[in-house]
Amino acid sequence: MSEADFDVQYIERDDRSARVLIRGLSPAFANGIRRAMIADVPTFSIDTVRFVENSSVMFDEMLGLRLGLVPLTTPIDDFEIGDEVTLALDVAGPGTAYSGDLVSSEPLVEPADKNVPLIELKEGQRVELEADAVLDTGKEHAKHQGGVSVGYRHLQRVTVEGDLGEFDEEETRILRGVIETEDGEIVPTEAFDHDLSERYPGKEVSVEDVPGAFVFHVETDGSVDVEELIVRAIGTIEERADELRTTIAV
Amino acid sequence: MMIPVRCFTCGNVVGEHWDEFKARAREGDEDPGEVLDDLGVDRHCCRRMMVSHTDLVDVVSPYQ
Repeated sequence: MSEADFDVQYIERDDRSARVLIRGLSPAFANGIRRAMIADVPTFSIDTVRFVENSSVMFDEMLGLRLGLVPLTTPIDDFEIGDEVTLALDVAGPGTAYSGDLVSSEPLVEPADKNVPLIELKEGQRVELEADAVLDTGKEHAKHQGGVSVGYRHLQRVTVEGDLGEFDEEETRILRGVIETEDGEIVPTEAFDHDLSERYPGKEVSVEDVPGAFVFHVETDGSVDVEELIVRAIGTIEERADELRTTIAV
Repeated sequence: MMIPVRCFTCGNVVGEHWDEFKARAREGDEDPGEVLDDLGVDRHCCRRMMVSHTDLVDVVSPYQ
């Protein structure tokens, strides 16, 4: 292995969304991590639904789809791919059935958002069902994707080339992402309204990509937190590489 | 019919913000754009899910 020299810096960080600057990545590896975050980190999602009663205005299948899309918290360490957890819902109208009304048989696996309206019920309508959530990856079905709108951009270095000519018109220069100034300061472009002429008035600047530095935008649907998603994604790449190594060695 | 659970384009969970959006922007008199900013629905793909949605349960329920 080459002695890769990684450097990680959080630019924004929240439970569910973050921007991370990673240096020392090749473009191929950066894309590998992005794809792993989308397709290879398993999360729980409702897969099979048994209806006891459904007198709502929606068909069973429509409700089943909505249930499948509700994100469920996923402690990945405690489960394996294919494991099932049963949830139940029993709501009678008038009123709305929310994702928070789902009762789980496993306290670790519960709806990550409690406020998603599943179905509005009128007087006399009732929904009673039992649902099996299964742990699987985004490869199998998009509802199992933990990462939402995961992507990356190059870190961009902004260099001041000199002053603008005395009679030059100051033009707006729109740039999105994260920039690195000459002093090595990391600034998200929101700080100056995405307009370089706002940060460097009267200057002529040049912008170039910093090689090997990627700013990842990572968001999750709540089933896992951001840091775990990134670590797990890298873990799946490692697992596959290990598998390949043992296969070749045999 | 009901607000979709997730954004069709990016997969963000938008359903959870519907009740508050409805109360403040549809039934209340706040500016829908400002309410969405406040709720943290930033991308325009997710915003259109909320802005363009109509609840149809009341319309279909007599025919059930």
